[in-house]
Amino acid sequence: MATAQALRLVVVTPERTQLDETVESLRFPLYDGEIGILPGRLPLIGRLGVGELVATLPGGQTTRLFIDGGFVQVNRGVVTLLTARALPPESISLESARQQLDVALAKKARSPVELSMKDAETQRARKMVAIARQN
Amino acid sequence: MAKARAIVKRLKAVRNIRKITRTMELVATAKFKKAMDRASEAAAYTRKLAEIVADLSSAAARQGTTELTHPLLQQRPQIRKSILLVLNSNRGLCGGYNASVLRTAQATLAENRAAGIATSLEVSGKRGINFFRFQKQDMTDRYTHFEDQPQFDEVDLLATRYAELFVRGEIDQLQVVYTKFISAARQVPVCETLLPIASLEPGAGSTSPAVEYEYLPSPAEILEELVPASFKARLFKCFLDAAVSEQIARRVAMKSATENADEMIRSLRMTYNRARQSQITSELSEIIGGAAALE
Repeated sequence: MATAQALRLVVVTPERTQLDETVESLRFPLYDGEIGILPGRLPLIGRLGVGELVATLPGGQTTRLFIDGGFVQVNRGVVTLLTARALPPESISLESARQQLDVALAKKARSPVELSMKDAETQRARKMVAIARQN
Repeated sequence: MAKARAIVKRLKAVRNIRKITRTMELVATAKFKKAMDRASEAAAYTRKLAEIVADLSSAAARQGTTELTHPLLQQRPQIRKSILLVLNSNRGLCGGYNASVLRTAQATLAENRAAGIATSLEVSGKRGINFFRFQKQDMTDRYTHFEDQPQFDEVDLLATRYAELFVRGEIDQLQVVYTKFISAARQVPVCETLLPIASLEPGAGSTSPAVEYEYLPSPAEILEELVPASFKARLFKCFLDAAVSEQIARRVAMKSATENADEMIRSLRMTYNRARQSQITSELSEIIGGAAALE
């Protein structure tokens, strides 16, 4: 794959295409942990987790986005992230993230389905708090 | 004299109305443009989703797991309870937009009643709410917060609730009545069954040369996750379509209203001129008559 030197990152939410840029490398959370992608990556389809997408631009700066689940497709040097929400980290306030965490923790789970939903929510809120803290 | 003045008054009123309808037409055009842009941007998501689904299902077929068994795909043998979501607008003055959606909704309601399906009605938009209130139909839920730019987060809440109800077996069907946007010149009111999901693949997807993907986790597991995502995207598309169609309907209605006002102004002006003319003529003849009498 000598030709695939450029890596294009496309972040799509149901509302719009949030980001469409050429990047040097990027990393983002999959369902079971983080993955890093460099140019020349073999085709991949995967399930996203909740967390932070960090993309390194050709100039060396980084772009960060909070992503909330979804899917990723890597094909021919194009990385497409489909996610329900993609927020710039500046837009997440520590206070509201903490509030969400409290709400999620206070939820009562009575069935396995509710329990897994509660887990997912607390995990999301924890990630948001962690990202907000970095600001 | 009195007649001419009355006509002037009417002329003024019509001119005012024309100003208003003309402004509303312009506003609707701008809003339509915005809504259209949003809808076409949102299409990227659906398109990509369909692409992944196509890739995944071919991969799943290769692995031998052909049948998907997601609860949202499950067709119930007997439909007992159903939710009918009607998407209307909050504002009127948009021609037949609301009425045609409501007509379709009424027909669906009657069908469901005939089939013995208990249908709970959920209505979005003040127009629809008022209509069903007048019809003395019970509504389980009313929404008025969906304007011309529906947000995904808001639709997401609804979609999650419907999916939960469906999975728990409290409903067997979700129908949505809305105006489908086909092209800028054609929008039709339709009733679509969103749950259970009929098929994931929207028609013949682009059959690009098969790529050997690495799947994390397995194709089947990703597909499981894709099902709710695609349901949400579909429901969101309904809302977007409805918003775009509303603006088009309003623009068309206001355009014809403006044209009608123009025509009315023209005919009123002619009548006024005639009245004025005949007034002058009669005054002249009076003066001449008076002068002749003095001689």
